Amino acid sequence: MDFVILSLVMLAIGIYGLLTNRQLLKVFISVELIATAATLNFVMLASSAGVGLGQAFLILAFSTDTAVSGVILALLVIVSKKYGTSDMDKIIQMLQEKGASEDEVQ
Amino acid sequence: MMFEILAVGLIISAVLALFLDEVIYSVAALAGTFFFTAFIYVENGALYAAIFQIAVGVGTLAILFLSGEMLGDKPKMKTSPKRTGALVGIGAVLSLPAIFLSVSGSTGTTSGLDFGDALWNVRGLDVVLQALVILTMALGIAIVLNEKKKKGGQ
Repeated sequence: MDFVILSLVMLAIGIYGLLTNRQLLKVFISVELIATAATLNFVMLASSAGVGLGQAFLILAFSTDTAVSGVILALLVIVSKKYGTSDMDKIIQMLQEKGASEDEVQ
Repeated sequence: MMFEILAVGLIISAVLALFLDEVIYSVAALAGTFFFTAFIYVENGALYAAIFQIAVGVGTLAILFLSGEMLGDKPKMKTSPKRTGALVGIGAVLSLPAIFLSVSGSTGTTSGLDFGDALWNVRGLDVVLQALVILTMALGIAIVLNEKKKKGGQ
């Protein structure tokens, strides 16, 4: 069952990317990698056991994965339009500056 | 042997997808990840899973290419071939555990349930209901956006 190790490595890479990348699109790619690792483990386990149910469940997994992707992309577009960048550091900096200027006004 | 080659390709493309500076190249590497995953499925006899993986992957990649082109910030400098080579090396090293390590365990018993049975006799109703829920959500969002657009136009 080498695929368990393979999907574990994929999961680790995805989580590392999720925690370290500052580009929102890269964060989305990390989420895709985590989802791919989970489905890989799921399908291969079912396939090695000779059960077709695993592949049927994969359709459900893909449906939710696609819905999640749609929501993430919608949020990404909104944030990029609002702040003019998809870099999380810049967005946080803008938010901090905005908070500081609001404090000065009060 | 085939599984090892596919595993190395999968891990290398995953590392490249995350750590290349240009978003477009990252998306191209992600395409590699999806296709390697599909080949692993084919290699293990999960043909339907491979087809779904490619179908869903192509849709995701199309969206990502578009959004990467529109929303991605321009990188300050291009990725050097040296850095790309280093990333490939890191990917190859990371894939070593998948090649040399293995988790032992029983593979279970064969239930005799094939894909068609599983889909249509066992979980078919769930799939249709979930599709209905997603379609309803999409229609709701479309209606809300349309109303907002109308209000904005007035």
